[in-house]
Amino acid sequence: MMMIDRRLIGEVDWILLGLILLQSLVGVFFIYSSTNFLPGAYHVRQLIWIGVSLVALLLVLAVDYKFFVSLSGYFYGLMVILLAMTLVFARLVAGTKSWITLGLMQLQPSELAKIVMILVFARLFAEYKSAYLTTQHTLGALLVAGVPLLLIIAQPDLGTAMTFLAIIGGAFILAGLRKKAIVLLVLAALAIGVGGWTIALKDYQKKRVTTLINPAGDPRGSGYQVIQSKIAIGSGGFAGKGFQKGTQSQLRFLPARHTDFIFSVIGEETGFLGVFVVILLYFALLARMFLSVAKARDRAGVYIIFTASLLIAFQFLVNILMIIGLFPVVGITLPFLSYGGSSLLASFVACGLVLNVKMRRFANV
Amino acid sequence: MPENRIYEDLSLVQRRANTVFWIVAAMIFLALSYYWKVQILEHKKYQGLAEANRTRMRVLPAPRGLIRDRKGGILADNRASFKVSLVRENVKDEASSHAAICRLLGIDEPTLRGRIDLHKDLQPFEPIIIADGLGPDDVAPIESRRLELPELVVESEPQRFYPGRGLAAHVLGYLQEQTPEEVLARPNRKVRPGEMVGKTGVEREYNDVLRGDDGKVYEVVDSLGRVHGTTPATQNPIQGGDIFLTIDRDLQAEAERSLEGREGVVVALDPGTGRVLALASSPTYDPNRFITRFTPKEWIALMSDPDSPLENRAIRGLYAPGSIFKLVMSMGGLGSGMITESTTVYCSGSIQIYGATRHCWFAPGHGAMDLSDAIKNSCNIYFYTLGRRMGIDTIAQAASLLGLGRKTGVDLVGEKEGLVPSEGWKRKTLKTPWYPGETISVAIGQGQLQVTPMQIAAMTAMIAERGKRFRPHLIGGALEPPAVAEEPPASGTMSRFTPAEYEGVIAGMWRSVNEGGTGQGAKVADFDACGKTGSTQTMSRESAERLKRAGREVKTHSWFSGFAPRVNPKIVVTVLVEFGGGGGTTAAPVAVRLFDLYKKDLATKLEATK
Repeated sequence: MMMIDRRLIGEVDWILLGLILLQSLVGVFFIYSSTNFLPGAYHVRQLIWIGVSLVALLLVLAVDYKFFVSLSGYFYGLMVILLAMTLVFARLVAGTKSWITLGLMQLQPSELAKIVMILVFARLFAEYKSAYLTTQHTLGALLVAGVPLLLIIAQPDLGTAMTFLAIIGGAFILAGLRKKAIVLLVLAALAIGVGGWTIALKDYQKKRVTTLINPAGDPRGSGYQVIQSKIAIGSGGFAGKGFQKGTQSQLRFLPARHTDFIFSVIGEETGFLGVFVVILLYFALLARMFLSVAKARDRAGVYIIFTASLLIAFQFLVNILMIIGLFPVVGITLPFLSYGGSSLLASFVACGLVLNVKMRRFANV
Repeated sequence: MPENRIYEDLSLVQRRANTVFWIVAAMIFLALSYYWKVQILEHKKYQGLAEANRTRMRVLPAPRGLIRDRKGGILADNRASFKVSLVRENVKDEASSHAAICRLLGIDEPTLRGRIDLHKDLQPFEPIIIADGLGPDDVAPIESRRLELPELVVESEPQRFYPGRGLAAHVLGYLQEQTPEEVLARPNRKVRPGEMVGKTGVEREYNDVLRGDDGKVYEVVDSLGRVHGTTPATQNPIQGGDIFLTIDRDLQAEAERSLEGREGVVVALDPGTGRVLALASSPTYDPNRFITRFTPKEWIALMSDPDSPLENRAIRGLYAPGSIFKLVMSMGGLGSGMITESTTVYCSGSIQIYGATRHCWFAPGHGAMDLSDAIKNSCNIYFYTLGRRMGIDTIAQAASLLGLGRKTGVDLVGEKEGLVPSEGWKRKTLKTPWYPGETISVAIGQGQLQVTPMQIAAMTAMIAERGKRFRPHLIGGALEPPAVAEEPPASGTMSRFTPAEYEGVIAGMWRSVNEGGTGQGAKVADFDACGKTGSTQTMSRESAERLKRAGREVKTHSWFSGFAPRVNPKIVVTVLVEFGGGGGTTAAPVAVRLFDLYKKDLATKLEATK
């Protein structure tokens, strides 16, 4: 089980793996472009993280995903402990407690929690054969997802919490939602939303939502990022201002340009042409991931492929909509392209799981 | 999982997954169309915005609140000044730019470079302050060369100014620039790099009140960083809150004058409230001399001065209390029931204790002494005998009840606790047993005993108030805490002293000043002062006696601590003069100057109310 078969290597989806690496390298280019004048050699660090993530992905491939699924209970326990510890021990960075330091590295446990949730949900629904979701099963799944979700909200890291909702929602859609259930869930979400708005959301978070509706209302505060990002993208035009020539990004008008706003740099420096190419590559990547569900040998495999793909798709969509002002600024990175080790690692491992399911489609290996 | 799963019908879930994918695909297409709209259709608009409309935020620093004395006199003010900042992004040629800047501002290149390095993590468009505290004449040549040097920004800035020069310097403290590291270490505090923050004293203790809220102005700049006007969305700075101190400027000035040329401390308190009326620590310094962000030579000289003028000796100087400690012995003796006011001890000038001969400071001997005689004459033999009876732990308890060995809680950072030795303390820290002979040294305030002048002042205030203890504080006005007597922490068998016991000790203190005792130098007509002197050896008793025999003068630290009047006390004065000689001859006259001034002040106030 632990050994990888020669026959299996032939089953690896090399095209998908190639697309992932290609996207990551595109990211390195623009990280370099937006940070080369700063100390810290971000592009080199990102390259190292790509190497680390690739190794992690290959390790994930070596083990049958069913083994991971069977261990998901333990992973879940570990994750909850780690998230709780993060809350207690993490230093406050930019008002949130989401980073823990492991030796030289800094990790964001909430990023890795996404992977664990994929496995946990695969396990929860592996035996679920009814055409539609029962109330009992819904509540059970919500309870399981709720504990880590609350711990992440407490950090507070609303961006990651939202991606959790994507995983939960994806699993529910797959299990089958009746109209009544949809109505109930929407009502519950509304109730939590309104309640959260009045009780839990910090002022700055509320501002981000109101800014979406009217960015000009607060051009120096939370609207600043969106306005500057939109100026960057719009001024890129058809062919862009050229590599390392973006005035918005080079003159530091664009905040967080190597992390959450990397796509704005691409938009400014390579124009619509670059945007089109990157989005096209992303479309190919997502199609390759999603359509792999046909190759899954069992229900757990389908859930893994689907939730992992949805996780990447959700972050991608939210990010490219956020930086152009169609979604509130929630701190969601662009998978593979944004600078950041934890996010890169999580995205690679998620794809590793998809590749894993796909290469073991012929069952009993 | 059983192997037959491979034959499971997964078509339903797979169909649903495919549906979701196509929804995602549709959204990607919509997103792409929006990018088309922004990048192609609206390109001109955004290009214009990128070229011309660059706005930047500039901070308008809030003036700090004023610090006033109890009568409203200004101790810390603000004055207009200019600062010059460098915007690295606008530097065209580093070498020639730096040379020109150094010439204009009269600074040397290494200083400039060091300054830039300190703030290298700031964004290149963020200004780095390279000179401050400038007058209009200093910045005129820079203003006139604005076009040649777009990298320089001249801004006005309110600067701290202490009109009294060194007056109450140790109370007020001083400001220093917040370094980038300090800002990072406390991300929650709304302090920006380059801001001047209180580092010691009241400036630090009440920094949050004094600092106010910075304003903001948004400037439209072009690609060269030239300002093309401000947007209306500005936020005006809000000056920090003024604070009133309990300090009396006249008393403070008198206290500082009386210490001029000497090293020492004067603390004056209002015993009924704990208000600090004067706190002088000498030598002192003029905080105006180094109020800039740049470390001039004077600052370095102050830091390395062996007389440590920056130290606030009143709360950080540790001294042996000497004969002042006889007040603690007296209270403890009465409180523990070892003596009564009428217990007498015969002083023949020397005594044999634990196999060693100990001398009284008055070689012929004082004769038969009761408690108030012993305090009046500061008789060592009496207190040697009392110390032997009490034992070190009872002494330590009495000292603790009077607030020694712990902070007084005055609102200044860095206060020291001092030390009251005990058997347990010695076993724990020095790992050696307590020797009875050490008790005898402690009985006259020597040995390992260490106190701060503030502790002695607070203790004297507690005696003056017959046991009521008010936390000494500097903050007055609206922020002043209500005067509530503090409960001393219970220690051992003595829980608190009775008013009668205080009266017994006060009787001795009154006689010391008014009936020709050691404190007679502190006598003030019609002000009924009570006090106790002290002279503490700054070396071991043996070497001091040896030097004395050799005819060499041994200067001791001199203490006086007292209050006036005896009934309804109004003021406590504690004086310590380092190497001042006898407490009666050096420290007591300093106290007289303050008693006198305060008496006159009270008289004029009385006059005014009539």
